[in-house]
Amino acid sequence: MAKHNIMVIDDEKIVGDMAKLSFEQDGYEVETFLNGESALERLKEKRFDVVVTDLKMKGVDGLEVLRTVKKLHPGTVVIMITAFANLDVAIEALRDDVHDFFPKPVKIKELKTSIKKALGDL
Amino acid sequence: MTPAWWDKLTGLSGRRQGTSADLAARFHFFQAVLDGNNRTLELMTEMGEKLGGDYLFDVNYTRSAYAALFAAISDSLRNFNQLTDDRYPELAKTLNRIDGLVQRMLTNTEPASGRLVLFYPEITWDLADEVGGKNYHLAELANALHLPVPESFAITTTAFTLFFRHNGLEERLAELPRADEGALAGLRGAILAGEFPEEFTAALAAAVATLRSRLGSTATLAVRSSAEEEDGDFSFAGQFETVLNIPCTVAAVQAAYKEVVASLFQTNAISYQRQLGYDLGRLKMAVGCVAMVAAQASGVIFTAAGGRDRSRLAISAAWGLGKAVVDGLTDADLYTVAKGDELRLVARRIGAKAQMVVNTGASGIETKETPPAQQQVACLSEKEVLALAQQATAIEEHFKCPQDIEWAKDAAGRLFFLQTRPLRMEEPEEATASALPPETPTGHAVLLRGQGVVVQRGIAAGSVFLLRHLDELERIPKGSILVAGHDSPLFVQAIPFLHAIITDVGVPTSHMASICREFNLPTVVNAGSATATLRHGQEVTLHANEGSDWVLYEGIVHGLLRQEKQTAAKMRALYEFRRQKYIMRHIAPLHLINPLDQEFTPEKCQTIHDLIRFMHEKAVQALVASAERQGRGRLFGGQTGPRKLALPIPVELLVIDLGDGLRKAAGKKEVEPAQVESVPLAAVLAGMLTPGVWQQEAMALRGADLFSGMMRAADLTAGNEATLAHNVALVSRDYLNMGLRFGYHFNMLDCYCSETPRNNHIYFRFVGGAAAITNRSRRIALMAMVLAEYGFALKAKGDLLVGRISGLSRPEIERILTQIGRLIGFTRQLDARLEADETVRLLARRFLAGDYRVAL
Repeated sequence: MAKHNIMVIDDEKIVGDMAKLSFEQDGYEVETFLNGESALERLKEKRFDVVVTDLKMKGVDGLEVLRTVKKLHPGTVVIMITAFANLDVAIEALRDDVHDFFPKPVKIKELKTSIKKALGDL
Repeated sequence: MTPAWWDKLTGLSGRRQGTSADLAARFHFFQAVLDGNNRTLELMTEMGEKLGGDYLFDVNYTRSAYAALFAAISDSLRNFNQLTDDRYPELAKTLNRIDGLVQRMLTNTEPASGRLVLFYPEITWDLADEVGGKNYHLAELANALHLPVPESFAITTTAFTLFFRHNGLEERLAELPRADEGALAGLRGAILAGEFPEEFTAALAAAVATLRSRLGSTATLAVRSSAEEEDGDFSFAGQFETVLNIPCTVAAVQAAYKEVVASLFQTNAISYQRQLGYDLGRLKMAVGCVAMVAAQASGVIFTAAGGRDRSRLAISAAWGLGKAVVDGLTDADLYTVAKGDELRLVARRIGAKAQMVVNTGASGIETKETPPAQQQVACLSEKEVLALAQQATAIEEHFKCPQDIEWAKDAAGRLFFLQTRPLRMEEPEEATASALPPETPTGHAVLLRGQGVVVQRGIAAGSVFLLRHLDELERIPKGSILVAGHDSPLFVQAIPFLHAIITDVGVPTSHMASICREFNLPTVVNAGSATATLRHGQEVTLHANEGSDWVLYEGIVHGLLRQEKQTAAKMRALYEFRRQKYIMRHIAPLHLINPLDQEFTPEKCQTIHDLIRFMHEKAVQALVASAERQGRGRLFGGQTGPRKLALPIPVELLVIDLGDGLRKAAGKKEVEPAQVESVPLAAVLAGMLTPGVWQQEAMALRGADLFSGMMRAADLTAGNEATLAHNVALVSRDYLNMGLRFGYHFNMLDCYCSETPRNNHIYFRFVGGAAAITNRSRRIALMAMVLAEYGFALKAKGDLLVGRISGLSRPEIERILTQIGRLIGFTRQLDARLEADETVRLLARRFLAGDYRVAL
């Protein structure tokens, strides 16, 4: 079976770096992006099984990423992480079919469980 | 320690204003200090957990978490100053210094002392970044351990920045991530041609003049790199220049300075940084100017042999300067010392030492043949080996981790230390790199076996690249096994392309060896005939286990190969993470352990945890002193003079009654447990006095435990000073606050136990221990397992455990306090026993079942 692939978008390098390291340990292929713009470019070329994105980013934010993903690749699972646990945004994101929503700092194990669930591995 | 006259003075003024209102006010501040400390500790453990690698976090988190922590400790300090009448003004300065260091990390700004040159005795912990790792560690050996270190001064990173600015080179640093070979060479050229700003030259001239006045005008210096972070998590071993034996003049030091600083931009050093994920252009270099030792012999000590075995240390030695050993030029002597209670020389191997590096007459150095008569002679006598071993052990204890130490011996036989840095230890999972299979894989001839030393174990396959000249490093194809005559730290630039390294000559303590361990690159040195036996381009498989247990097969042995190594990628990824985690260095470590120690002073506080520890101890003292001043004055109906609790177990405890905590008829100096009316104290004592929990059986009792026990007993007979550093319980009928210290660990209990459940709480904290950290963590795990049974909210990190529970009825609180009393007794010396994780579960189960035996 081909490896599942995951896109991680966060404007802080440390988030992508650590996510990449820990997801790769579980056998996923991971690409990381530091802004929404470059991620959207990549999404035009490639479909990912899972997109983990920060909500608040300068320029293209997490909600815009979510909408684009759903338009281009409706089957892709989107998980939102954010330092600002804002309920309104969470509700809006859920309505837009976000799979899960985590406040930062997020426990990597929980994130992995959510990903596995989404991919039907659990 | 505070002078006695101060105590007298405050004692007098205290008596004058010694009213019960004074004690009531002080008790209020005391509780506020405890509250602030508790909040700080909780935030600290939470931060440690979030930054520990199990969470995704960003810089916003670190900033806001630290802000909350700083607010809590500031609160605590404000109340502490009220409680102690501003007796410790230095604490605020320490907190400011810590805050400055953390803020600098959070905002990526530069150090701010503004000093350009610092002599080693001036270097304090908060200047570590400005003088770089190498200077700082060496200065610590002289300042804290009083070990022999040559006269030295540091040129700071502030001077580095000044030099770059003066020569208009700052912009070039910003372009570094995109710099090619040509740009790097151009930058190095510009540095070598650089001019020194006037103030830099002036500071240097003053330092050089001082050194000449101390050592004479013929003294010479070693000018060495000491970059920020050098000798920290990563060694940068051998990546930068060292210029040896230069005259002690401004012109000579300036020329050498430029050479050393330019080496920050050598291809190998840039490649090393890139592989570790550094932002190129951000690393700054301080420089150390260390008086040359006219070395008759020199070498390196690993305080954990082979980077694995902490029970032995290994000393390598060769004639002349240490360069022969660290550059792997020669086959050195190797002495192995068993550490234990008594140091013992257990193995001695005399190396061939064909070459040696010596000072030439005036300046500079040269490599020459060792005179044949000297080659077979041991560089060190057994006595010298043991002397070095003893000092090395002290260094390891001071830095609390295994060290890689450089030493030299002069013609008069005096030993000097020239460097110390953390020794990278092999990760436990690497240790599983299996032993060699008993049989040779079919179809694969054995090419080399057994001669030489494994530096980094592992299994790797690839094509042999026979290196004849260093220029060829750039041409090595990906996946090669590098085979060379002798090793060099310059190999680092080829590491991304290498699967393994094998050299004919070399020592396991060289710079290259350190780097290979950092990158988990399977490496064997001193293999004797690798360059003669192997052909360029030949496919081979290396299986390196440990010591001389290794073998090289012809061809690719697929059965042996495991998944491709990703170490370099892993390190890159972790760089940002590590940087955030560094903040914890200024927060969590605890240096102040023993309040009876000379070092237990505000000046020795280096971290937030130290501040908490210091404030707690002194807050208790201040309160006790206040109670003593009042003598038998009454407060809330209680008798406030501290009284000794007569216990049938080896615990010294003073009780201060804040109100109805002791029976009215209780003695003035001493009270019996039966006279305790404080509900929570009575409950804890019932637990501590439960038959069987106080381990009486012969256990590996440490000298330190015994010693501190004696000290405390002595205190009690010493009159007025008696209450210094005591275990103290503050009680009322419903309240207990108690600190209990045994040797190196500390229990703190704060609880309220009334008829109103919603007011009730238990706060329990445990920290420290003298055994290895793994054992201490196991003790914490055991305590956590027990407390979890009762529904405690727990936070544990390393050897710190914080637990709280609230809202329970009085009988429930009493029941739990009795269990905690048992737990305090039961776990007192348990860490020495906890050699395995299973023991933790076994003993926790037993404890909960009322079985307090610790024998397995």
